[in-house]
Amino acid sequence: MAVDTMWTGSEKYLCDRELAQAFHMARVIGMPLLIEGEPGTGKTELPLQFAQDMDLDLFVYPVGSKSSVDQFVAKFDHVKYLRDSQVEILNAQRDEKGMKSSLSTGGRHTENLQDYVLKGPATKAFSTPNSVLLIDEIDKAPREFPNDLLYALSHRKLVMPESGEIIEVKEENMPAIVITSNREQELPTAFKGRCVYHYISFPPKETMHEIVEKHYPKMNDELQDKCINLFYQMRSLGLERAPATRELLSWIKYLNSFKKAEALTKVNKVEGMGVLIKNQKDLQKVQTRLMGKNPNNN
Amino acid sequence: MFDQLPETFRAYKLNADVRTLLQLRQAMDKGLVKTVGDLYYVLKGLVTTSPTDIGPFSKAFYAHFLSIDMVPGESLEDAVVRSGTFKEWKDKLDDDEKLDIPDVDLVNQFLDEVHTTSYDIKNFLSGQDILDKRNPDLEDKEGAIDNAPADRNNILDRMADYRDVPLEDLLKRMREVAKRQKTRHEGGEYWIGSGGVSPYGNGGAAAGGVRVGGSGGGKMARAAINNRDFYPVDAKAPLKDDNIDAALAALKGIEEGSSEIILDVPLTIKEGLKQGGIFLPIEKEKRQQRIQVILMIDNGGWSMSPYIRTVQKLFAKMKTRFAHDLRTYYFHNTIYGGLYSDAARTKFVDLDMVNLQDKNYTVFVIGDADMAPYELHRNSIRDWQKLSKHFNRMAWLNPMTENEWYGSMTCSVVSQIFPMFELTPAGIEAAILEMNRKRSFNDQ
Repeated sequence: MAVDTMWTGSEKYLCDRELAQAFHMARVIGMPLLIEGEPGTGKTELPLQFAQDMDLDLFVYPVGSKSSVDQFVAKFDHVKYLRDSQVEILNAQRDEKGMKSSLSTGGRHTENLQDYVLKGPATKAFSTPNSVLLIDEIDKAPREFPNDLLYALSHRKLVMPESGEIIEVKEENMPAIVITSNREQELPTAFKGRCVYHYISFPPKETMHEIVEKHYPKMNDELQDKCINLFYQMRSLGLERAPATRELLSWIKYLNSFKKAEALTKVNKVEGMGVLIKNQKDLQKVQTRLMGKNPNNN
Repeated sequence: MFDQLPETFRAYKLNADVRTLLQLRQAMDKGLVKTVGDLYYVLKGLVTTSPTDIGPFSKAFYAHFLSIDMVPGESLEDAVVRSGTFKEWKDKLDDDEKLDIPDVDLVNQFLDEVHTTSYDIKNFLSGQDILDKRNPDLEDKEGAIDNAPADRNNILDRMADYRDVPLEDLLKRMREVAKRQKTRHEGGEYWIGSGGVSPYGNGGAAAGGVRVGGSGGGKMARAAINNRDFYPVDAKAPLKDDNIDAALAALKGIEEGSSEIILDVPLTIKEGLKQGGIFLPIEKEKRQQRIQVILMIDNGGWSMSPYIRTVQKLFAKMKTRFAHDLRTYYFHNTIYGGLYSDAARTKFVDLDMVNLQDKNYTVFVIGDADMAPYELHRNSIRDWQKLSKHFNRMAWLNPMTENEWYGSMTCSVVSQIFPMFELTPAGIEAAILEMNRKRSFNDQ
């Protein structure tokens, strides 16, 4: 796509300036954008919101511990192929014996190799001009995955297994590729070298106000201030798993279901903590430090 | 010059090579680099690979392009004030502008200008109607002070022209900025701008006190330079709370995940026989290695106490992240026939019981192995040998530095039984590499 504009976020998504710039740069020079940062800071949201806002096709590949490049690009279904060829023999034998019934191959024909190619999200994205491709949580992948991926992404061409079909994309139609990682595993240097890297730093208070504003424009100011102040206090406690933007937004969603006065008392009592703190030790810490509660006599 | 850029960056322990230059060139060709601020962003995207790179990167950037070298312990602001670049920039300010302004504010202004990106400028201009700016009537009056917007737009256009300029010229221009050569700016010289830094310097019709100011990038760079979080942790420092994540990353190496799919031969044969001799292959996922870890911690002497809590925290974290099975035993200095299963060392577990565990457990012994020579007598040594014979993967992590090991007789004895490593993130990584090598040998 002839990228000339910088996408700076949508009604629902505040894309901070640096992220917007990195994303723009990645799209312009056709490199994947690798985003790292704390969980819950909107890494995955970026491509989702971008695709929705710009009305582009989105392809998502959620990475897991069993991910392989076959699934990501395309896979030749050998089992089905073998089954169908066996079925053909079987059908021929049945035919010889004058048996009417035959086994079905479900419309596939062993002569057409592409019938057996299972296309993955990469192939789909490459065959749709100007699409968005998200590779989510790449750090969950087995160690060889990023390096295998590197080869697939560094050419604008994918070769389908066995059938030899070539899926090619022009430079201007290159999909916007976004890769996210939670840094649970260090990615190979060679892989990172081929991506535009961006680290989402946690937003300062002012930005957080804007983010909350985007999601809950009608929210009461006093309540918003209180929530956000308390939230940053919690983050400064040095918790095992500090709450992030996602947790704050869920908490506010919960609070918004009450009337203002009721919600304010709930904030003061720090109710609905289960959304923010997800660890027993952290909960105790918050209770003693922020609420002056002695954990021993609840 | 740009061709020395990889060298400078490598000196700051960053990954930069010819590819970086090629990618930078590509970005320039596409018109992404129009100001020093843009250059910072583009290079940051290309060069950094982790948040801990951002600090060194920012330092390297200031040193290379702006000749601002920070001496250790110095803050960015002080380095800026000290630098010739800043002094020359200050000299160029109008007298009334720098009058009564403390250096602190001037430094902020300077850094704001350094980090002004073309996006900031566009943002600044976007208040104006695009068509309005294209209006020839306005352009006729270019240079008049009240028509600054039209002029500004021209600057942007002219800046954009630089996408056709060969890299060598860009290098030269960039160098000029760094050296702050006092040349008059005309026409195309606006690339970096009249102030030498910002496209809105001083002394053009466009000036009029325009301050783009306060860009996020400047703040980020400054925050990064002064924040320890954006520097690499010292992998050779003893294990502490602040490098525990680096140690955890090193431990992650125990896990050898794979997504391999293999043919399930027995099931294929069984099903094939049922089908009357038609064999359809049945696949299965290759079993993933279960991660089982045994910790043996010396919690006896005072010399170990600073480390025990951190070690336990580290392995507790490891357990929640990726290990399936973690057992901890305790001992004091050395073992005599067995270990203890509780930290107070009251529940004795016989060594033969410990040796009944699966031999595929990965065993870490954590202790300084420093004791009175008579404590490590022949039977105790034999006990250690029994353990090392049973478990395939065993390593000793020692909080003392390697140099100190040789000073302790008992320590040298133990290190002959087990491969010994320092209790640092780097040491843990080395231990795992060593154990993995052993495993792949044993697997064959």
